[in-house]
Amino acid sequence: MTITAGVLALQGAFLEHLVLLKRAANYLQQHEGVKAPFEFIEVRNAEQLARSDALIIPGGESTTISFVAAQSGLLEPLREFVKVSRKPTWGTCAGLILLAEAANATKKGGQELIGGLDVRVHRNYFGRQIESFHADLDLPFLKAGDSTSGAPFPGIFIRAPVVEKILPSVDGIQKAEEQTAGTVVAPSKTAKDEQARSAMSSRVEIMGKLPGRLNKAAAVGAEVDAGDDVGDIIAVKQGNVFGTSFHPELTSDIRIHVWWLRQVLDSVGDRDGVR
Amino acid sequence: MVMNDNGTMSNTTLPTSSAANGTPSVPTFAVKAGLAQMLKGGVIMDVVNAEQARIAEEAGACAVMALERVPADIRKDGGVARMSDPHLIKEIQAAVTIPVMAKARIGHFVECQILEALGIDYIDESEVLTPADDTYHVEKSGFRVPFVCGCRNLGEALRRIAEGAAMIRTKGEAGTGDVVEAVKHMRTVKQDISRAQAALAEGEGALRALAREIGCDAVLLKQTAELGRLPVVNFAAGGIATPADAALMMQLGCDGVFVGSGIFKSGNAAKRAKAIVQATTHYQDAKVLAQCSEGLGEAMVGINCGTMAPTEKMAGRGW
Repeated sequence: MTITAGVLALQGAFLEHLVLLKRAANYLQQHEGVKAPFEFIEVRNAEQLARSDALIIPGGESTTISFVAAQSGLLEPLREFVKVSRKPTWGTCAGLILLAEAANATKKGGQELIGGLDVRVHRNYFGRQIESFHADLDLPFLKAGDSTSGAPFPGIFIRAPVVEKILPSVDGIQKAEEQTAGTVVAPSKTAKDEQARSAMSSRVEIMGKLPGRLNKAAAVGAEVDAGDDVGDIIAVKQGNVFGTSFHPELTSDIRIHVWWLRQVLDSVGDRDGVR
Repeated sequence: MVMNDNGTMSNTTLPTSSAANGTPSVPTFAVKAGLAQMLKGGVIMDVVNAEQARIAEEAGACAVMALERVPADIRKDGGVARMSDPHLIKEIQAAVTIPVMAKARIGHFVECQILEALGIDYIDESEVLTPADDTYHVEKSGFRVPFVCGCRNLGEALRRIAEGAAMIRTKGEAGTGDVVEAVKHMRTVKQDISRAQAALAEGEGALRALAREIGCDAVLLKQTAELGRLPVVNFAAGGIATPADAALMMQLGCDGVFVGSGIFKSGNAAKRAKAIVQATTHYQDAKVLAQCSEGLGEAMVGINCGTMAPTEKMAGRGW
């Protein structure tokens, strides 16, 4: 059966993701013997979301995406998709913000989140556009057990957010976060069945870090304990929900898209197209 | 028919110099063009104070353009139009979390330096302001801040990209509320790209001849012909006043829209702003367009471009 991966196409760099997904699928079919046919679609309404087995929320302006999602009646279906049905979802930059259970430095009056990752995200952490940058990233998950090269991944950070805190896994909303000034939280949802629960995890895995936090903090005179494991968290995964604060879709490097499609295949349990 | 063919642009690299990682020098072109890619499918709104900026942010704008007067007022007031007061720009920056753009006069590189120092996210080297140089546009490659520039045709767009612009928009005719010029400029760019593709099929000689004719870099022209679109994000601007105007420009193949005077010169700015944002996302869905076009109150009165003298038009500024 065809595996349908949707890309949320309300605003932002959704076409770039679709281009890389197609290339990644070709790679899997030609080099890894994946037989399952893939279909990639733009998601602008609830019907298109319902057709999707997995979803990417692209980079864009998170306030715009959540506003248009609310106006288009998509906010609740998205929460159902990620948190109730627990289908594989990946968010880049704005997508990471929307998938966080808590976020700060939001616009006045806060903004709506989808949730799914027990983390607090700091919006525009690295600053304005003149502070945007390119950095080569060492991502251990790309090296694990396959033949793709161990070359660093080109990380493009555009007014990027960072994962500021890993939150405890809780039932219901993140109460402590809700009471923190200037922080918004996602509404609570319960996984619908055993299969959805099994796709969840109480543990947030740190998938990538950007070294240099110590230097950055020292430069502005902040107090940093050098004994701490310092480095900005720029990629996290919890069960089948994945988030990156950088933009693989702005590169021509397909490795993360290949990796993510493998995760999708594992989650739907179908590499041979026989589901 | 939907003619949007945006999908082919991504993952391109332009022949622009790029800095090494981690150095405090100019960011790579991918980083500059990257923010424009993040704005795609969105609406950038002209605002003249913090209050309007908040209305725009609440309405789902993906960025705001901070300026002292909207183009309709610049047109009405006459005189020399310049960069906005930094104080105003700072107030707007403090009011919102979305990117803040600002306009500099054509060729006025010191206004650009000032805007960069203010931490503006994108500079619009704009024909809406009075040009400061009648020969040169700003050399944009050396700035850390990325630039957007207007165009009427492909040659003009590629000249700006060669100077370092990381985003292009149609010039249209700002401050009129008449979309006809934006449509003309978008169609002209597309026709020019078709010609470039035909020249590419014919051979390198034909492509070089066309580059000479339209006055642009032959390498950029070839790249455009191969992509079948501009090598950077291309927004519509100049005269967009309704949700239908926004969707029209999107169906013609634009990546997003600027709305200048159209929102805050209308009867119900907040409602119109939200409707234009919805229309830009759902530009292919006529049912949604019908819903969001309903009951918006009075649109800006506007000026019919057909009755304007050529000297009244702003699009003729720059080359």
